Parts: sequence; C-alpha cells; structure tokens
Amino acid sequence: MTNFKGLAAQGEYDSILVDFRETAGAAQIEQQVQAITQQFKAAPRLNSQFSLPDNVYVVKGDAAMLQALRKSPVAKFAETIEPNYIYNAYAVPNDPDYAKQWNLRSINVEQAWDDTKGKGVTVAVIDTGISQVPDLEKTKFVSGYDFVNDRDDARDDNGHGTHVAGTIAQSTNNKFGVAGIAHEASLMPLKVLSSGGGGTVADIAEAIRFAADNGAGVINMSLGGGGESQLMQEAIDYAHSKGAVVVAAAGNAARNAAEYPARYRHVIGVSALDASGNKAAYSNFGAGIDLSAPGGLVEGDNKLGGILQNTINPETGESVFEAFQGTSMAAPHVAGVAALVKAVGIANPDEVEEVLKQSAMSVQDDTLNHYGAGKLNAAEAVKLALRGKISFRDFFQWLRDNGYLNPRFWIDGGIVALWPKLGMVIGSYLLAWFLRNYFTFAWGWPLSVGLVAGSSGLFPLKGMYLFDTPQWPFRILGSSIPELGSALQGGAMNPIFASVLIPLILVAFLLGHRSLKWFAVGTAIGMAACLAVSAVWAPSLLWLGSGWLARSFLVVNALLCFALARLVVRPGATA
Amino acid sequence: MSIQVEGTIERKAVGTGTWALVSKDGVTYELHNPPADLKQSGLSVVVEGQVRDDIMTIAMIGPVLEVKSFNVVK
Repeated sequence: MTNFKGLAAQGEYDSILVDFRETAGAAQIEQQVQAITQQFKAAPRLNSQFSLPDNVYVVKGDAAMLQALRKSPVAKFAETIEPNYIYNAYAVPNDPDYAKQWNLRSINVEQAWDDTKGKGVTVAVIDTGISQVPDLEKTKFVSGYDFVNDRDDARDDNGHGTHVAGTIAQSTNNKFGVAGIAHEASLMPLKVLSSGGGGTVADIAEAIRFAADNGAGVINMSLGGGGESQLMQEAIDYAHSKGAVVVAAAGNAARNAAEYPARYRHVIGVSALDASGNKAAYSNFGAGIDLSAPGGLVEGDNKLGGILQNTINPETGESVFEAFQGTSMAAPHVAGVAALVKAVGIANPDEVEEVLKQSAMSVQDDTLNHYGAGKLNAAEAVKLALRGKISFRDFFQWLRDNGYLNPRFWIDGGIVALWPKLGMVIGSYLLAWFLRNYFTFAWGWPLSVGLVAGSSGLFPLKGMYLFDTPQWPFRILGSSIPELGSALQGGAMNPIFASVLIPLILVAFLLGHRSLKWFAVGTAIGMAACLAVSAVWAPSLLWLGSGWLARSFLVVNALLCFALARLVVRPGATA
Repeated sequence: MSIQVEGTIERKAVGTGTWALVSKDGVTYELHNPPADLKQSGLSVVVEGQVRDDIMTIAMIGPVLEVKSFNVVK
C-alpha cells in the first residue's frame, strides 16, 4: 500500500470523496446530497455507475470545503469524507537508455522531478574537468577553471569528471542517451586532477574557494586520499560559510573510515551502494560516513550494475557511454539531490544536510555504519524541504561540525536506539529495588556495576570512532553482557550470551566472595531487564530468528536470571 | 622519504580504472604516474618510491605511491 501513498505524494486534489454509510437509507442520502448542494453550491455526483451500491459521491471542493463538510451534519451519515487525490504517473524521461539507470530509480528521483529539476542552483564539480559531450549539450554551464594547466578551459582528459557531471546534470528529456538528477542546474567545471587522476591538495583547496566565490551552491568532490591539511579544512569552512553544500566520496579501500576530504567537518561523506541496495564491497564505511548512495558494482565485463553516463574516451577524446563503479559515482547522486533541495528554497548548507539525512531510508542494525543516516531518497528529501522547518536531530554531528568536539572523533548518532536502553537500565534498578524490599541487602558499587554491565553496557560508546584506529574496543565497551556475543560483527544477539548461562557462571565463581558476589547478583538482575526489554522491543537472536521462538527464549531466560538473583539474595543463601 | 614495496601489479576497476601495487603484506598502493613498463597486470615487482600525502585521487584505493624505480622479480 505504501506505493499508493507515494503516487499521491503531492497531495493535490480539487474534489472531495463522500462515502455514505451503507446503513443510511436512500432517502437519507438523497436528503444529505441536497443539503450539500444548497450549503456549498456544488452538486455531489456518484463517482461512477459502480459507486451506487457503495454510496460513493464526489463533489468539487478544496481544503476549506473539506473542513466544513467534516463539521457539517453530513458527517454523521458518512463513513469517510476525504480528499479525492489526483494520482498521476510520474513523467518518465524520454532518454532511450534511461531504463538502464537503476540508480536513478533507486533514489526515487522521478517523484522529486515533479517539484524541481534543480533550476537556479550551480553545482561545482571539482575533478578531472568536464568535456561537453553530446549528452551535456542541453545542460547549462557557468565558467570554471583548470587549476592543473592554469587556464579557463576546464575540459576533461580523463573521463572521470565528465561522468560525475553527467550523474548530476546530464541533459534529460532530450531523446538522447541517459538522464541526470538535477538536469536544470548549472555545472561549474573545476579541473584539479591530471589525466592520470591525481592532483594536489593546494589546487583542490583553491578550487573550493573559487567555487564558493563564484556562486556554487553545491560542491562535489569525487576524490580523496592524502593526509590532514589545514589549508583544505579552511577552504571547506569558507565554502560552508558562503552557503555551499560540500559532498565528497568516502573512498574505495573497503576500510573503516572515510578518506579526506569526506571526513572533514562540513563535508557530507558518501559510501556506495550496489544495485541491490547493499554497501558495495569496495566502499569505505564507519567513521565519516554521513549517507549512502548508488555507486554501482561492475563485475568483469558485466557492467549492468554500474553507473551509466556519457563521458569521453581518454585515448581518443570521443564521446562514449560508460558504466563505472566507485564512491566517486555515489557522491554526485548526493550532490544532485542537494541541488534539488536547494532549488526548492533551503539555503543553509547545514539544513540541506539535515534534510538529506532525515529523508534517507534508514537501515536497521547498521552496526558498522555502512550507510550513515541511510540511503539517499530524492523524493522524500524534496518533500521534506518543501515542508520547511528543519530541526537538527543529529546533535553529536552538529557538535562535532561546529568545533565543540575534537574533530578526530566521529560519533554515529543513529547507532543506539535510546529508549530500549533506558528501559533496560531503569528496569534493572527497579528490579533490584523490588528485591531489596523483600530481602535487605547493601547497595554497593559491585551491584551497580553489575546492573549496568548486565542491562545496557556503556552504550553511548558504541557509536564512537577515532579516525584511523580500530572501532571494536568501543563496541565491546559499549555492549552489555548479552550483546557481547555479537559485539564485533554486529547484528542479532548470540543466544549463548543472551541467556542465564553467564550469570550462572558468575554466581558459581563469586558466591563465596563478600562483595564480588553482588556484582554477580547485579549482572543477573541487569540481564533479566535487558532480556525482558529485548523480548518486547526487538526479539532478534542468532539462529533463533526474531519470531516467537526468540521471544520465548528471551522471556524464559529473563525469568531464570531474575530467579537466580532472588535465590542468591535470599537470607540463608549467603555463604 | 623513500620506501620499498614488493608485490604484484593489478588493474583496479574503480572509476576510469587505475594501476595498483598490492604488497606482500596486503596493503594496496595506488601507483602515481607509473611508467609504461609497469602497467602489466600480474607483474611481480619491487618498487622504490615515495608515498605522496599531498595528493588526492579519483581511485581512493589506498596510499598514493610515486614510483622512482622498480625491478621485475622472477
């Protein structure tokens, strides 16, 4: 049913549906129809000849009339009074090879095009240059610069920059080639990389400033590598202060942490997805990834899974249509959608970033931050932007980007579902307090440590990253005991750890110790709370699935943990 | 600072494609402006070169290695 909601995405209607109750007699209905005609000067009519048995009437009217009708006496006789939304099939561009662009459909760009195609926004492409291939003929350009050869003509001699530019603004609806995302936006070609595909930090930083000074609303950098550079961070900050949204590729080394410049503050770092929506194997992940977008996957000669655009053959300079893969291809998807968001009136780059993140399709259990805030969704982004009023959800990211946190830190704000965790901690304390009402015992630190370790762990640590260091120590520290069995690989809890087994072993070993015994008790109580909350909230276990089997396993073990704690604190059980 | 890396030359299909040196201990280097003789997939080589920290690239597959000299190993 969600598809149908999407079809009426804009919520346009010029008539209202009135569905009378079947129990209302024909005379009653006739009377109400008359009443509407008199009161609103509009005659309801049956929707079609098939509507009579269901009593479905349609009447011309707008939002004000809808409200009035709902408040009128007619409402008593009607099952529903609702807008008669106009469903329209979204315009599919006439570019003959559009059918091969799975990537554009996967970001729902067709729906976004109903509202905007990026008109009035300039996107700077900092890359190997852009050549005006045939499928860029109808695309608008503004003056750029070639920083490699120091000249105004920034044509491409590699094929990369032209391809990236195509994803952003390939001429569309021109009955030729393929489509681009923000095809009414203007491109600013900035050549900083040589024909070999490399360039210096100094040139790139200059290009960023050039873009900012010449009115670029969005800057795309499908490039990366090297070390930290103050010069470059300052250039990015400058562009950000001028209102430019800066987007960069995460890198293709399949490692944890985005490359520079994706990891700088005020840069949206983009990881790559394949055609099935999974992170592409080559894509970097973890620290510095803000969003994911199609980057494609080319397997040998099979290029169907790649991103297809018009570019040049670097040997001959001729126009070719080529399918490439890489985070280089993912970043321009985000840059294109950022241009769409800007075109509908969001000027502030922080707000654009927030719109892109909040509208993204979030990914459950993304323990290693493969996807950032989620998968790029153009339709939702434009819709959210049109609604206006952007509030900031990713508070940690905001802190980091605004310099209140050490920029070597990265915090994946979306990693932990906060409410169940709070439920686990509070639940464990309530259970302990409950037991204490029956059996008096001292409330020492071993008990508290046990409660936290058993229930939630130091969960805020789970989403923390230090660039270029392994993240697993944070994940282990951030895990509760039941989660330890899956702390490294992420995903569903391991039932060996999420059971009474560990508390049982702890009790067996620590029962004789005066204070450590209470750690074991705390652990048992904490785990009882954790397993019980998990059973209700998200019963998902390795091997056992996430159905009734997992649920009953968790409930039984929660009860066993609690029974174990009760057994130990009972007077007389103390050694 | 110059380093010596022993490994195999590979063609990596990211973006427009790039030449890489995969070292024996598994590190992938991107070759920066490699000489024509080095552009052969599967070639076992010892490369002497410099890691360029000031260079960014479209390939982004690992450290950028500027080749100073190389020897083919049998």
